Amino acid sequence: MKKYMGNKLAILLFILPALAIFITFDFIPIIQVFAYSFTDWNGLTIPNFTGLKNYIDLFTDRVFFTSNRNQIIFAVVITVYQMLFATVFAITISDKKMKGRKFLRVAYFIPVILSVTVVCQLWSAILAGDGLLNKVVQLWNGDFKQNWLGDRYKAIYVIAFVNAWQWMGYQFALIVAGIKSIPSDYYEAARIDGCSNVRAHMKITIPLLAETYKFCLIISLTGGIKAFTEMNILTGGGPNKSTYTLTYMMYNAAFKKSNYGYGLSAASVMVIECMLVMLVINFIFRDRDQKKEEEKARRKRNA
Amino acid sequence: MRKDSNNKALHYIFVAFCWIYAAFSLYPLIWMLFYSFKTNQEIFVTNPFGFPWPLHYENYITAWTKYDVPLYFMNSLIVSIGTVAITIFAALLFSYATSRMVWKLKTFTRLFLGLGMFIPVQAIMIPVVKVVQKFNLMGTRWSLIFPYIAINLAFACMVYYGFFKGIPMELEEAACMDGANIYQTFFMIIEPLVRPATVTLIIYIFLNAWNEFILANVVVGSIPELKTLPLGVLFFQGEFTTDWGGMGATMVIASFPAIIVYSIFSEQVESAMTIGGAVKG
Amino acid sequence: MKKKILSTLVCLTVAATTIIGCGSQAPAANTDTVAPETQTETTETKTEEKAADTTAEASGDKVTLSIYTQYADDDTKVPYDYAVEKLAEAYPNVELNLIVQAQDDGQTLKTLAATGQLPDIYQASTDIINTFRESNQIMVLNDVAQSTGFLDKLYDANKDLAYAEDGNIYAFPFSGQEYVLWYYNKALFAENNLEVPETYDDLLNCIEVFKSKGITPLALFGQEGWNTAAAYDVIATRYTAGGIKALDEGSASITDEAYVNAAKKMEELVAAGLYQDDATTTNYDQASEKFLSGEAAMFINGQWYIEDATKALGEDVDWMFYPAEDAASYEAGKAVFSGGGSSSGFAVNPDSENAELAAEVAEFITEKYCEAKVMYRHNPLVALNTGAQSDSELPAMMQKLSDTLPSVTATTKFTWGLTNSTFNDAIQSESQGLVSGQFTAEEFIQDIEDTME
Repeated sequence: MKKYMGNKLAILLFILPALAIFITFDFIPIIQVFAYSFTDWNGLTIPNFTGLKNYIDLFTDRVFFTSNRNQIIFAVVITVYQMLFATVFAITISDKKMKGRKFLRVAYFIPVILSVTVVCQLWSAILAGDGLLNKVVQLWNGDFKQNWLGDRYKAIYVIAFVNAWQWMGYQFALIVAGIKSIPSDYYEAARIDGCSNVRAHMKITIPLLAETYKFCLIISLTGGIKAFTEMNILTGGGPNKSTYTLTYMMYNAAFKKSNYGYGLSAASVMVIECMLVMLVINFIFRDRDQKKEEEKARRKRNA
Repeated sequence: MRKDSNNKALHYIFVAFCWIYAAFSLYPLIWMLFYSFKTNQEIFVTNPFGFPWPLHYENYITAWTKYDVPLYFMNSLIVSIGTVAITIFAALLFSYATSRMVWKLKTFTRLFLGLGMFIPVQAIMIPVVKVVQKFNLMGTRWSLIFPYIAINLAFACMVYYGFFKGIPMELEEAACMDGANIYQTFFMIIEPLVRPATVTLIIYIFLNAWNEFILANVVVGSIPELKTLPLGVLFFQGEFTTDWGGMGATMVIASFPAIIVYSIFSEQVESAMTIGGAVKG
Repeated sequence: MKKKILSTLVCLTVAATTIIGCGSQAPAANTDTVAPETQTETTETKTEEKAADTTAEASGDKVTLSIYTQYADDDTKVPYDYAVEKLAEAYPNVELNLIVQAQDDGQTLKTLAATGQLPDIYQASTDIINTFRESNQIMVLNDVAQSTGFLDKLYDANKDLAYAEDGNIYAFPFSGQEYVLWYYNKALFAENNLEVPETYDDLLNCIEVFKSKGITPLALFGQEGWNTAAAYDVIATRYTAGGIKALDEGSASITDEAYVNAAKKMEELVAAGLYQDDATTTNYDQASEKFLSGEAAMFINGQWYIEDATKALGEDVDWMFYPAEDAASYEAGKAVFSGGGSSSGFAVNPDSENAELAAEVAEFITEKYCEAKVMYRHNPLVALNTGAQSDSELPAMMQKLSDTLPSVTATTKFTWGLTNSTFNDAIQSESQGLVSGQFTAEEFIQDIEDTME
């Protein structure tokens, strides 16, 4: 069996297409990003090596701190929102007794289909000073009117919500797909044991979908760290750069200030942050993997 | 008894919440449709949320006459389908090898490829375009397809990895004993099992490629025969003013094919999933 | 089970053939279009040496020049279409391939330049000119400007616009000196028995009255940094004639008393509610619609807005001199305007195979832009004197501006005319901070001072 699954030629054939495309169109450019981050390149001229200057400038930049703070807020908000709602809705939809489940399944996914531009246009109309939300709020309590997207400290939460709202549907679809791939006899066994529906899911679905949750977590967290488009459309990074992220810093430096090297140092720091997050998640979930194996073995014995 | 009725009430509240949330998710579709029939004044001042009246259907006429909609549409379609097909194929194979086969460095290789998820397009744009030029792909559809594959590959591999991990190892053991070779095992037994993942990925990658703007603008922006649909919005954005209604019409034209693709595939998801379950059971 | 596999295989082959199909098709189509082009280019450059309009006509081969420019609203479409029409008469062998400019801070153009795909002719801002100059990706047009008579047609007031810092001409500007105007709705002021404010105290009074009526005093489109920078500049120029231009050139410092006072005044006006609450997330169309529909009483925009404002509000709209600290500085300030010219205009890619021809065409298009703007857009403030006349009488606001101009002694810059990109970025975002009301004048001064070091 070991030999069967260790077929060298097969492995090579299997990984080659993906690896070839990745290295050519992704990895080589990423290497260049790192290399250029040590230069004064403006995108056009021959770059001069400037050592750590860009990084020193970056770490002392006022906006660097704001950007990192925003990224953390963004990542946490979208992770909590998406994983919570995606799980709840996915379990609801998987319950065959739920009426209209097919319709609901399509509905939850709709925001994912629309382009970010459309979704952001909609939300900026809702969140504008005299927008829908403030009108509704005013009916209830006139004092609670907010400057949703223009607040120096709170706007980032609102932007994160818009992102979470749009992409929740995708994690929902992944978890639904995951639940579908769990053999139904697991649930039957649980039902015979007298577990309630909710408890059955807590005990079976969530542990068995550990891998799915792992990448949902990675998608959300890294998505938060590299967020850009929503800020660009909703607030333009404002007021006064208070909704910036590292990607926004990169964009601003590279294209508005023609300081590509500096921009790429921000991008490099962001990539490293994402990698750290991924490694930490992998590390946390490593124990789980082993536990799952044990669990499986036990089940097998019992059966 | 009381506890029971309490539970029931809670249940109804929960169901109501599910439906309200769904309505909220569907609202953008209606809003976008309304929007595309309005003028700037209606959109921003007089009627931002209500039904558009009178219908400014001329927005669609402007959109249709400003650029070659069928041509852009075909270009988008070809590029998106090409991207989806190759990405799915490459990611399936790669993730199978890194999740289930036995070899050294497999974790490293997997994480190495995962790097692709973290880099923003804006950062690698210039190097990517240079690579595309090196391979003499400029002026062909490959100039978009290859970078799009590269952008989506890491994500697809990560999703597949999770699904492959969840399949019991006994399947391969059985197949091996039946005398199937590794390729047969993969294509006939394992691949059908992850079809739910494949379908969700097809949708996701298709949408990504279909909506992509930044790279498309740089790579094919100067080649009228190869332009894709998202580039259409450029015809509505002036230095100061934007024709939002016209842009809305363009976005409706661009989004509805995606919605159709999704409604077709969401049926497929259902059937694919039942088959996947059956094999497994 | 078997059926399923079969269908997958069919799917895969279909997918594969589509891909192969699209791969082999596209390059073929591409070479088709490229091949004749390169041929004509070689013959063209040979005849081009003699350099005269007629030689180009003599050769029957078509030349396609790519041009990267704006083409979206009437202000950009009318001149372009007019220029294309005239080009067909003067250069029947030249065809333009329009690449519509994206509103992306130059991201597309810079990437095209970095990867050697620059179009033959492109619209270049001051920032682009300065960046491309370093890498020799922008053609020196001194000779063409001479031979085509561009320099002779250039209005005296715009002489300095044509030249970059190093004394060369890199782009043909079509816009002349431009001005930031403080528009107001006459009818709204009359309804509320308000006089046009001359001092900040008058202005504060107007703010109070308008706010009590639920009218936005001044609609700002603060999502765009240039508008908030202009909002600061119209105040700063009341304290020092240099405005943001002097800061950009380094001849003044943000810590100078005038700039500090201006920042404090702006902070005070923001606190009083001069701008709408969500000004920093308002885009141009939102703010403009507010003003045109009478929901806002005042508006800050360039003089190019006269045409649209007159069309929508007719007699009810006018512009005012910017309010100042007291009556004396108000009168003195009438001679100082925010805004000014910028050297942005049509530039040429020196690596183009038809560079010489492209330069000539760029100059030709620039002239036609000026003509079209005068004739069809009622905008006499263009770079060149083409002898064209407007097709109807000037709108009242434009007439008033023309009458005022002879007494104007100083102008500043629009943000796109600034040469120091670090300062440009800082003033745009920091002034936005002031507008939001959540950043103090001290922070504004401090941050800009830090950045400029």
